Amino acid sequence: MAEIAESASTTEHPLGTVGASRSKASPSALRESDVDPKTMRTTTPGLKRVFLTFSVLLSFLLGFPFLWKTVEIYRSPLPFGDMDALSKQIESSPLQFPCHFQSVFLNFDSRSSGGILDPRELRRSILSEMTKLTSQTLERQCGSCGGNFTLSVVVDSGDGPCRLFDERHGNGLTPNCSYKCGALGALNLGDDEAIDEALRSALDESCSDYGGKLYTVVVVDGGGAGEGPKALVGKHRHGWISGRELDAEAMIGRMAEMFVKVFMNGAREDGAIHGEFMPVGADGRVVLSFSLLNANPDDWFYDWDFQRLDDTLLNPVIEALKPIANISVESQVLYHTPKSSFSYWDESLGSYIFSTKDLSFFVNSNEWHLDTSVAAGGRTKILQFVVYVPSAKECPLSLQLPSGEISKTNGFISPMWGGVMVWHPQSCIKYSGSGPPARLLMHPDDLHRIFEVLMGQLRQLFGLKSNSIYVGAAGAYKLLPSEKGFTEWELDVLSRQHTCFNLHSSGTTLGSLSRLVQSLPRMIIKDEIGKQVKFSLEAAQLAQTNASVGLYEASAASSRQARSLAEDAFFHPSIMSVSYFSFEHCFAVYSPFFLPVSLHVLLAAVREWRRYKHEKAKYVRWKVKQVKAA
Amino acid sequence: MWLPLRLTLLFLFLLLSPRALLRSGSAAVVSGEEEEFHEELLLKPLPDRKVLAHFHFHSIAPPSKSNGRHHHLFPKAISQLVQKFRVKEMELSFTQGRWNYERWGGFDPISSNNAKPPGVELWAVFDVPEDQVDAYWKNLTNSLSGLFCASINFLESSTMYSAPKWSFRITPGSLRYGTLPREAVCTENLTPWLKLLPCRDKAGLAALLDRPSIYKGFYHSQRLYLTSNASVPAETVSGISLEQTLTVVLQPNSPSSSSIHSGESNFQPSWSLSSIFGRKISGKCVIAQSSIVYLQLEKSIFSEQKDNMDNGPNSLASEGFAGGSGFEMSLDPDIVIEEENQSQHKGSSVLYGFWVEKYNESQPLDLGLKWKYPVFWSSQQAPLHASRFLMGSGNERGAIAILFKSTNSADSSSGSRHVSDGCELQVDVFQVVPWYIKVYYHSLQIFVDDEAKPIGDFVHKIQVSPSKDKTSPGMMEMLLKLPCDVRSAALTLEFDKGFLHIDEYPPDANQGYDIPSAVISFPRFHSVMHLLSNDSIRKSPLLSRFQEKNRVQSYTEVLLVPLTTPDFSMPYNVITITCTVFALFFGSLLNVLRRRVGEEERYLKAGKKKGWLRVLLSRLLAKFRGKPMEEPDQPSSESAPLIGKKLVLKVILVAVLAVAWQFYST
Repeated sequence: MAEIAESASTTEHPLGTVGASRSKASPSALRESDVDPKTMRTTTPGLKRVFLTFSVLLSFLLGFPFLWKTVEIYRSPLPFGDMDALSKQIESSPLQFPCHFQSVFLNFDSRSSGGILDPRELRRSILSEMTKLTSQTLERQCGSCGGNFTLSVVVDSGDGPCRLFDERHGNGLTPNCSYKCGALGALNLGDDEAIDEALRSALDESCSDYGGKLYTVVVVDGGGAGEGPKALVGKHRHGWISGRELDAEAMIGRMAEMFVKVFMNGAREDGAIHGEFMPVGADGRVVLSFSLLNANPDDWFYDWDFQRLDDTLLNPVIEALKPIANISVESQVLYHTPKSSFSYWDESLGSYIFSTKDLSFFVNSNEWHLDTSVAAGGRTKILQFVVYVPSAKECPLSLQLPSGEISKTNGFISPMWGGVMVWHPQSCIKYSGSGPPARLLMHPDDLHRIFEVLMGQLRQLFGLKSNSIYVGAAGAYKLLPSEKGFTEWELDVLSRQHTCFNLHSSGTTLGSLSRLVQSLPRMIIKDEIGKQVKFSLEAAQLAQTNASVGLYEASAASSRQARSLAEDAFFHPSIMSVSYFSFEHCFAVYSPFFLPVSLHVLLAAVREWRRYKHEKAKYVRWKVKQVKAA
Repeated sequence: MWLPLRLTLLFLFLLLSPRALLRSGSAAVVSGEEEEFHEELLLKPLPDRKVLAHFHFHSIAPPSKSNGRHHHLFPKAISQLVQKFRVKEMELSFTQGRWNYERWGGFDPISSNNAKPPGVELWAVFDVPEDQVDAYWKNLTNSLSGLFCASINFLESSTMYSAPKWSFRITPGSLRYGTLPREAVCTENLTPWLKLLPCRDKAGLAALLDRPSIYKGFYHSQRLYLTSNASVPAETVSGISLEQTLTVVLQPNSPSSSSIHSGESNFQPSWSLSSIFGRKISGKCVIAQSSIVYLQLEKSIFSEQKDNMDNGPNSLASEGFAGGSGFEMSLDPDIVIEEENQSQHKGSSVLYGFWVEKYNESQPLDLGLKWKYPVFWSSQQAPLHASRFLMGSGNERGAIAILFKSTNSADSSSGSRHVSDGCELQVDVFQVVPWYIKVYYHSLQIFVDDEAKPIGDFVHKIQVSPSKDKTSPGMMEMLLKLPCDVRSAALTLEFDKGFLHIDEYPPDANQGYDIPSAVISFPRFHSVMHLLSNDSIRKSPLLSRFQEKNRVQSYTEVLLVPLTTPDFSMPYNVITITCTVFALFFGSLLNVLRRRVGEEERYLKAGKKKGWLRVLLSRLLAKFRGKPMEEPDQPSSESAPLIGKKLVLKVILVAVLAVAWQFYST
């Protein structure tokens, strides 16, 4: 039918040369008639079929958006702009907390060392030192205070006048929180612990002015006889410098360093673990898994009473770390767990040696089944602490440092994984009695030593120093260790870093989620993901505001929430499963119908339109002829 | 990134108060109850020239408040699992092969406890309120799946598990039961199972587990059974007892010498540990409290020897290994335990124990057994032997039949001798059927001694929960009371095969679908070994397990039901064909609508107008036929000569050539 219609309509078509020649030949035959049916017609061409075909075509075109709508997959609208903005903002400007410092000059006016000390002058010079230090070392360290700090200076001359300078209150006035003049009486400068306690009671930290976070350095003139000034950092939020014949100006440098390097930055050294590696799970939980590995129980095998250790020693540490992470502890004893690296006998050192080069092969992942804990949820961080008891054929086993000496702790850490420590029995004499060896219980003193090392490793994993001396540019500082393992100012540093790291991580997660979602246009995004993203953004916002005000705990909590929500959204099970439904699939399903039908519809419409134009022309020609004839 | 610790640690704070606390407990041995570990191996020659090796590892964590957190021997993972999912009792088994009840026995403790259905079987009792049990079960299956590298997580779906009330096991609390008959069991399941042992397979009895030799056996079942005793004070966490068993049936590769020399195959093959496992035991796992190898022999062996030979041994125990009887052991046993012979029960046996701690690397334990005379005996059977099969054909409907056959008339009467005249045999049947097998429970028929009998006469108690499509499987629990002198009994149930949704089919849908094994148990019969009580027996978890009263239980075969499987490219075919039909319809409709009948007829009458294409075609045809081109004033029905005879022949010729080419070229 179509062919007939075509042959009918193409008579005048430029294609048809035959037709054209025929139309030249035919007029002679049809001349007697008035109307030539090939070129003219007397009636107006009908619009019925044109209308019909076009209505079909139109309905198809109109139906197409509806079809598209049904094929379309559901994507919850995500605030891409906000997500990108957050990630960009966190990338470019790390979070900075406000810090408040106070320096107290005690007993300084009793002597005339270049006249009366002016707190305003002192403050200015300390600030300039601090700015110098912050600008030179801490290029954008996450969780530090940056340039955002306040400083107040008190000069207490003991019996004389007491002057204070403060940013907010100016000269003379005493704010609520700062040092009360004369509160520190005579200090017994011989006993560090006693000074620490005295300072703690004097510097009443219960005030709410700075959220209780005011760091104080007291410079005391007097005390110990002369080996130069002694600088200590206490367990709480203060440090002191004492010495005879102190020069106030000279102390400024040390004071600034104590503020910046210790209080602000946690006394960490270059080469320590970077703050971003905070071993805390996204849900704010950490499992400390302690394992005692007996390499070869046929030689000897040890057991430990970890329950007691947990109750007496670990609990305070866990309590102290509560603001940062929710920590749980578990322990196990494993047997037949050889290390996978080699060690060799060194005659001069009198022991088997494994060197730092071999450390990456020390952990034997085939035989050490330090399981992940069933008790831990999916995102809990597990830190493994391994005590390795070597077998008799490698018995005194020591770690050789690159410098050639033997490590005193005989252990090492692996960031974000945990720590390993080698412990060997005092006498490496193999059990040679009849029958199998008996179970030996580790001596409490040994357990203590092991625990000390493991605590040091834990501190290192958190990025803190494991020893108690910090050597800065201006001098050495003694850090008083806390019985909780972590001092208050260290915890402050950690919680600042934790917040910052959480925000950083949620920012990057949301940023990659936004990139991922935008790059896969056929991926289903459930409403739940949208909600999680929204809440995560809100929590991140809240954390940032809280941080700028100086509310450490609140901002840590909401930053944790932001991170956990962001990861929930990113690892939502629906994301990966449905991104498989591709456009090609859609095409394969619909093309068998739409391809032939659209061909029909389009062709019909084109033909009808062409025919209509042709017939119309014929009619017009007749009309013209009629008019001519008339 | 390995950072060595550089300096001494100065955590002086530790050296103060807590030390005093610690010192008080510095005795060489931890006081109080300790975690224990026992390892045992039972070897038993089977009547059909095979050897059964049954490894039994037992770990015990006494109740203490640190359970789930601090452990010395007990696997931490299991303890945490128990704490987290509040598991009161749990059994998980991975099995390959089928326990041959007829030859390997169906009455002794091993066959009742350790013969398991093929694939994975898991049941657990939870200590939680009834409405939370399902949630706990789901979490437990997922955890176990990760722990044992198996697809136990498929049991999570509610179509895969059921909650038997009384027929499977009488336990107070909420029991869930599920099986995966098609789970393939291999080393990846054994390794995590071994990881739960303190010595793994590095030392002790487990060192025998040479993977190739245990997996080429006839039957292999690894099992994990744990109980946590909840009856402890509230402040301490309940203690856990974990029993890990591995039961393998191996064919000793009979040394060629014995079979050739004897010249007959009646000889039981002689074997030793090194010949069946390829390894020897070089000492115990030092952590284990006890490490014993047992050799179990049926007493009937001795009695037969007594018949055969005149110098029948008076004391079996002393003479059995001395060389006077029909077999010889390569080592002297350290202990001989006889089963107390209460009645003239056929299946009593003798156990020879060997302490592993006496052996070491230089003198490994390589227990061997050598037969001197051909010996025959048969294992003790359950009162009825159950088998299950399918009836009917086609993809539409069928029937399940469970057939019980009396194993031995003498035996069945002896088992229920205490019941006098109205003697009856109780049988519990527990059957789970997946939902796509739509069982008509009303069609239950019972045939006793090949005669159809009314159901009410024999079915004492029945509980049925019909399946719900895509929600829950069908479950049937039944207590049958059969007369003692029954020779055979059969149950039949008709079913329709359901249809699954296209994406519910497993990858190998054409293989068929498994109906899990039915569990047949005999509540009046108990598989107990009455051993003369002894100190060493009380200490041995394996023997004390044998002395427990467990009801005799057996599993039937797994059934394979073929279901109609669709052509999986069907959706696309359907789409394509419907679309084509629609397109055709649409196109022709459109053409009909815009067809001008009057005009066409006019053209047809005019006749001479031909399209240029048609002119070209006719010219070509003319050339092809070698005739001069006909004038176009021929009628338009010129296509008639177009299909001339010659042309048809030529086309057929070409087609035949093409087919031949196609056929021969391949």
